[in-house]
Parts: sequence; structure tokens; C-alpha cells
Amino acid sequence: MSEAKPKIILRTEGLPDQRSIKTYVDKAEGYTAVRKVLGGLSREQVIEEVKQSGLRGRGGAGFLTGLKWSFVPKDMPGPKYLICNNDESEPGTFKDRYICAVNPHQVIEGMIIAAYAIGANKGYIYTRWEFQEEIGYLETAIKEAYEAGFLGKNLLGSGFDFELDHYSGAGAYICGEETGLISSLEGKKGQPKVKPPFPAVSGYLGRPTIVNNTETLANVPWIINHGPKAFRQWGTEKSPGTKVFSISGALNKPGVYEVPLGYPFESLLNDEGGGMQAGRSLKALIPGGASAPVLTPTECEGLTMDYEAMAQRGTMLGSGAVIIIDDRQSIAELLKVTIDFFAHESCGQCTPCREGTGWLNNIMDGILDRSAKPDNIERLRTVSRNMGGKTICALSDACAMPVMAFVQKFSDELHAYLAAGSGSHRQ
Amino acid sequence: MSQESQVTQLPKETITFNLNDRDITVPKGTTVMEAAHRNDVYIPHFCWHPGLSIAGVCRFCLVKVDNRPKLEIACNLQATPGMKVSTLLPEVKEAHKWALEFHLVNHPLDCPICDQAGECKLQDFYMEVGKYKSEMDRPKVLKPKALNVGSELVLDTERCILCDRCVRFEQEVTKTGALGIFNRGDRAIVGTYPDKKIEHNYQDNLVDICPVGAFTSRDFRFKQRVWFLKDKPAVCPGCSTGCHVNVYAKPEVRTYFRVKPRESAVNSHWMCDTGRKTYKHLNQDQRLRFPVATDTTGKRKRVSTAEAVASLVAQLRSVAVQDVALLVSPQYTCEEYAAFFDFFVKKLGVTKVFQWREPTEKLEEFDGLLYRGDHNPNTFGLSEALAKVGLPKDVKNGFDDLARSGAKLVVALAPEIGFQFPSLESQFQRLSELPFVSVWTTSAAAYNVQAFKHLLPLKGFAEKRGSFLNYQGKVGELAHPFPAAVDDAHDVVEVVTAVADVWAHAL
Repeated sequence: MSEAKPKIILRTEGLPDQRSIKTYVDKAEGYTAVRKVLGGLSREQVIEEVKQSGLRGRGGAGFLTGLKWSFVPKDMPGPKYLICNNDESEPGTFKDRYICAVNPHQVIEGMIIAAYAIGANKGYIYTRWEFQEEIGYLETAIKEAYEAGFLGKNLLGSGFDFELDHYSGAGAYICGEETGLISSLEGKKGQPKVKPPFPAVSGYLGRPTIVNNTETLANVPWIINHGPKAFRQWGTEKSPGTKVFSISGALNKPGVYEVPLGYPFESLLNDEGGGMQAGRSLKALIPGGASAPVLTPTECEGLTMDYEAMAQRGTMLGSGAVIIIDDRQSIAELLKVTIDFFAHESCGQCTPCREGTGWLNNIMDGILDRSAKPDNIERLRTVSRNMGGKTICALSDACAMPVMAFVQKFSDELHAYLAAGSGSHRQ
Repeated sequence: MSQESQVTQLPKETITFNLNDRDITVPKGTTVMEAAHRNDVYIPHFCWHPGLSIAGVCRFCLVKVDNRPKLEIACNLQATPGMKVSTLLPEVKEAHKWALEFHLVNHPLDCPICDQAGECKLQDFYMEVGKYKSEMDRPKVLKPKALNVGSELVLDTERCILCDRCVRFEQEVTKTGALGIFNRGDRAIVGTYPDKKIEHNYQDNLVDICPVGAFTSRDFRFKQRVWFLKDKPAVCPGCSTGCHVNVYAKPEVRTYFRVKPRESAVNSHWMCDTGRKTYKHLNQDQRLRFPVATDTTGKRKRVSTAEAVASLVAQLRSVAVQDVALLVSPQYTCEEYAAFFDFFVKKLGVTKVFQWREPTEKLEEFDGLLYRGDHNPNTFGLSEALAKVGLPKDVKNGFDDLARSGAKLVVALAPEIGFQFPSLESQFQRLSELPFVSVWTTSAAAYNVQAFKHLLPLKGFAEKRGSFLNYQGKVGELAHPFPAAVDDAHDVVEVVTAVADVWAHAL
């Protein structure tokens, strides 16, 4: 076993001038993977390397990156596109933002390689509108990369062109869904498109398009430089590599940490996170952003931070947004803000999501002001159950899953809250 | 219409799949919804429409495909060989129940005051798959109502289920793009863009395709409960396109209420707003109610049809055949022209035959969709009928020629759709200056011209059998007549037969 806490993504973290191209090139093997790829690897070889590495999408779904790339039709003439999904909006998640602040060039290098692999000559980074500072960092990095000859025409004399632009929507969670993002990039209302066709065949402007998460793309240069085998020395069989987690809550050291997948939750909480704040205890854990079903402290025992362990406990690793709920939090109020978020962000296309998220939110209003009937608590689950798996995108499920878990695991607390009459500090 | 051309372009290759234990063969690339639609298997849906693109948003048409974990929407599911699809499994039924429950969460359920009641998909599905006890017990989201979005339309965004059909119609059919869905989640509302209104001649199609009562027709609003209406297929007499339509009436009170398009190769699913107004002249208050002739003192009076016919025959006998002229509007059926010319031209030998056309008409005009500059349903049929009796078939307004012809007796088949003839009133005046004119018409307007001494009431297009030939010569059939709103009304065939009969007996 090599070093316990390797850095694949946040390699320039803490170095002077951490996000400059100079630091990246001098200290973090910057743009060497691009040289390797353009120096003689075929597209198929690049895809194969990434397939072998077992790299899974870091945006939330954990889909195999190499496999996704291989869906792009090889012989189709005309333009293809690569999009970096930097629309990080899952409540609790702030790792892509940090990656952009620390090591934006690695994302750009990953994009060049990915574009080469899928045959795209044009790429976009789509950043959440609220990340104004990071948008600045990215634009600077893109400019630097152009000046250094890593972007533009005939890269390093290879004959491969790659133009990269930055774009930002108006700030909508749904634009993080890949087809919603594409709609937004096309200048339309940001709402997901019916599938099929899938973006790999018909995406941006009806052309083959690959959308990858920021962190996913940042993994690519390292894999090219060191090979799939080295990548697989960290993580588990099915979740190889490292993961950048954003940890929040009543901790001593909340923040962004890169650890190998399969890392024990307890270590993440106590070592990286510095343990619970004095006088606070763990009441619940949301392991992968607001859409991940909540875990009780008992369920957190022996928990490791990887896709399989999370699935086993009926939840998901998601985007790696670890939200620590301490004993002072009210589950009813937490549930309300969670549902309120999804009801606010539902694009409103599909009926079960549009009406379902609204209905759940409506019920939560009734629970908070104690006007709801007690059977409405169970109704949260019935409604959620019938919202799931029936819509164009996963937002409906993203709302339904945590609600079902909250109600199942904290039913007593919700009933007690409703029965308690007034007393919410929200009022 | 674009959809139909797409269908014909599909490769000939077919596939067979199984729907509810029935093998169905369709062209490769057909969706399960289309296949079901063509084979009379009903899959409940709101947003899918055969004349529009796929939105896939109502999530109502969920079906179960064997060996697939989730239910899938039939509208965006391509049928593949051997695929086994069911709409009858309990889990599908349960999904339909909940799909409806979600649609009703914020629907106002104001059916008692809603015009759509009786032909509302929400009501239909409620009877078919509804949850008979709703679980929704919270206050509903309120949205804007009674919005003026177009001259023919009223919009209620609270009733709207956001199926997006109207938005797609505006984008794909009329290409005017005046509508959009604004805001998100359960605050989403359909509406017009700030600088736009729905201004085209196809507004009422939005009422037709709206599966609920969100868009209602200004013309039909609050006029009648639809379950009191009877509908019969007909062909629109408003222009030479000849859209296939259904006419809605309440025959027991002799009142017509609306015209709606009927799916056909001619007009796809649509028709224009002008065509929809072609029911108004059929109502009793617009009609010539009885035959008129003059007594011996020359005074106009109401007579029976037999007396009117006898009086016309007497007039015909009193003049030489070369002094007789026919003035014929292109708004009658081929069968009527055949009978009319058979008697007057072939039997009597009349040679002065003129077309009664609107002088301001612009035949070459076309709106690109359906409505044509020739505002007559049977110009083609009239030309053919003229050719058949050896007369010139050119499409030409013969009104001035008639005036110059020195005819002493004119038999005139007047235009039926008066609002398509802006010059009708002045033409009536000019016509009434001729020595003797027998006007055969549906309209009370001719009665008001005192100088007309001989009038025969006719049946309207919805009240007779026959056929129109549209601008391409395609046959449009009138085969299901309503009883005439006026007792004494007859079609031209009936009148000519009576005239010929009296003529023959009087010989």
C-alpha cells in the first residue's frame, strides 16, 4: 500500500500561486499527459486506459467514464462536443468549486484528453452562475492554456484542434442534469430533454456530446500519466481512485478533503473533519448531498466512503457531499428545507415531479405550522413513492428518496413535532 | 402534416411486437404509442398528440415492457422486434391512478362552470383510472384566470396541466411561437411572451388540442353543454381546401354551435378560425324561411314550394330560352350542379351561364397552412360540371357579363357563406335591377331586397348530401345531413327536380 492519502486531484493545493499554469506545470506534471496523448496515443487507446482504470463519474451517478466515452459514434461526420459539468448545485456539495480554485488547469488538461478521445474539437465549461470567483479563475486558466499553446488549433503540432469556452447559466440546479445543461447551453430554458436520444448520440445542437463532471475530468491526466493499475491501487474494486469530499456540519474542521474511495467514514469525520464540535453528537448523516437518503448513527458504524457500501445501506455516495446532522437539528425543519429546495428547483415539465415536489412542500408547510393532519406524515412517503422512477430526469427521485428515508427513520420525531403545537424557532 | 410526410418516408421494413398479448406489425421506428393509436389500443395520455412532436412530460402513458425494471412512456418508446408491452398490469394501472392524482393536485376541479366538461380528458380518465378518494387535502396553488391571449381565446392557467401541446402547436404548426411555459415547478404557467399575442387564423386549434379547459373558445364559451350537442361529419365550405370537419348542433332547437376539424389527409388535425364560423349562417335567424313569389298585383307574398315552383315555370315559359341566364356560385355540390345544368342547359338549352364570384377575391392567395384565396368549396366541381355540358370552364366572375347579356330571366344560385362575399349586398342590389330574378338561397339577406320577386329557400351545407371537389380535385363528401333548420328548405337537386317535373307536366 502506498501513501495513505494520495493526491490525484488537489495536487497543487497549498502551493504558492496554486492555480497558475506555472505551478501546475512545474509541480504537478502539468500538461505532460496531453503531450503523451497527442504524441502518439490513438483515441481507442485513451478510451481503453480510462476504461481499465474503472474511473466512475464524480458528479453523482457514478457511471463508468470510459464506457460513456465509447458511446460516441466513431464514424459520424460533423462536429462533436465535450462539456465539463461544473454546475455544482447539490446542497452540501462544494468540491468542484474548490477544485476550480485550487487546480483548474488539471480540469482543462483532462478536457483536452477527453475531447481527443471522443473526437470533439469544441468544449465548454458550464459553471454554476453563483460561482463568480471560480468563473474568474477558470477564465484566467483558459487564457493561460491558450497562451501556452495547449488550446486552439493544431495542438503541439499534432493536427488536433480544441477550442474551449466558458459558459454560465442563470443559476439553476436542474442545469446540472446533463440534458438540462445542454438545453441551457443552447440558449433555451434549462430543462432536461426526453431520452432517447442520449447526448452521446444527439446532444448539444443535436450533435454527439459528452458531459463529464469537473472532478471526473481532473482524474484523466493522472490516469494517462500513471496508468490504470496505479490508479486502482487506491479505492475498492468497483470504486477505484480517490474522491474529493466536501464535509459540512457541526464539525471542528469542515471543508474539502481528498481521500481514497473506501475510506472509513469515522476517519473522515474525526481525522479530516476534526471530530464533532464540543457538546454536539451525531444524529444523522447525509452521505452524498441532499438527494442521498439519510443514515442513522447506527447505520454509520463501519461505513466506508465508496459507491458499494452506500448502495448496501440504501443510500448513495452522490457527489461526495457529506452533511453531518447534529443533535440540535430539527428533522422537521431539515426536511422542510430539503423539500423546499427540490420544489423550488423542479423545472416543472413532468407532472409527477412538478406536482409531487410542490405537494410535499405543501405538506411540510402544514407540518411546520401544525395545520397538517397527522396522516400527512405517512402521505409524504406515499407521494414520494409514486414520484419515483417516472420522470424524464432524476430530480423527482432526488426529492423522493431522502423524503422516504427521513420519514421512515424519523417518523416519531416528525409526529412529535406536529403534536407539539407551536414552538418552532422558525416562527 | 409534417408528421404524416415523415411516416410515408419511413423505410418499408416492418417489425412485430406484442401489445397486451396481441401481435402488432408496424414500420420500423414506430413508437409504441403510434402503433397503439393506429391499431385502436388506447393508452391514456395528455401531452402526446399525433400532429405534434413528442414532449414526454405528462408521464401518463406509462407502460410495462417485459424484462425492464421501470415503467416507460409509450410515446417515446420505439417498438422493437419481439418486445412485449402491457398496459393492463396492476402496476401500470396503479401508475395511471397516481399520474391522474398528480394532475389533479392543483387543478381547480371547477367542472360545473368549465366549458370543457363533457369532453375533458381529466374527466374521462377519472372515470377510467381515477383514485376515487384523493389524498390531497392541502390548499391548492392559485394561478391567473380568464386571460385574454388572443381574439378567439380565453386562457385559464389554473386548469392547465402544462402538457405543452399549445406551445408545440405554436412552434411547429403555425410557427408563431407566441406561447411559452414560464416559471418552474408547481408555479409554472403557460402564457404568451410579453410582446406577443396569439394573432393567427388557427387559434381555435389550441382549444381543440388542449386536453382540459385551459383554452376555451370565445365563440363557444358558455353557449352550450357539449353533451347536448350532436355532431355529424361534413366538409368545410369556407375555402377550396375543403377541410374535413364535424358540425355540432342541437337539432331539436334548430341551432348550430360550432365546427371542429376532423382528422384527414387534407387537413391533418387542424382547420382555420374562418372555417369555424361557417356554422353561423345555418341558424334559423339567418335563414330565408319560406318561398316568396308575387301575386297577380305584383305584390310579394309567402307561398308554398309548389306555388313558387309553378310560378317559376310560368315565368320560364313566358320568355325565349336565349333570354334566360343562370348565375351560379361555386358553393354548391357537384350533384346540385349536375341536376341544375341537366335541366336548364341540356333540357331547356340555356347557354348564358355565368359564375357568381366575389369580385375582390385573390385566388392565388394561400396562408401556407390551409386557408386559400378561393373562398369557395367547389370551384373545381363547378368547372367540371360546366365542361360536362359543353360550356367554358374558366374560373371567372361573370357578374358584369350577366348585366350586359340582356337576360330577361335569371335563375341565381346565391353564395351560401355570405361573410366570404363582401360584395354580396351590392351584387344583390344590381341583380335586383334585372327584369326577373329567381334567387335560390339559404340567406335572409335576399329577402330584405324588396325588388326580388321570387325566392326559394335552400338547405345549408350541413343539411344536404353531396360532394365538393377541393382545389386538387379531391372529393369531400357531405353524407350525414342534419335536418334543415328551416322547414321549407330544399337542396338544389330537390328544387330542380320539382321544376323539371312541373315543366314536363305542363307540356
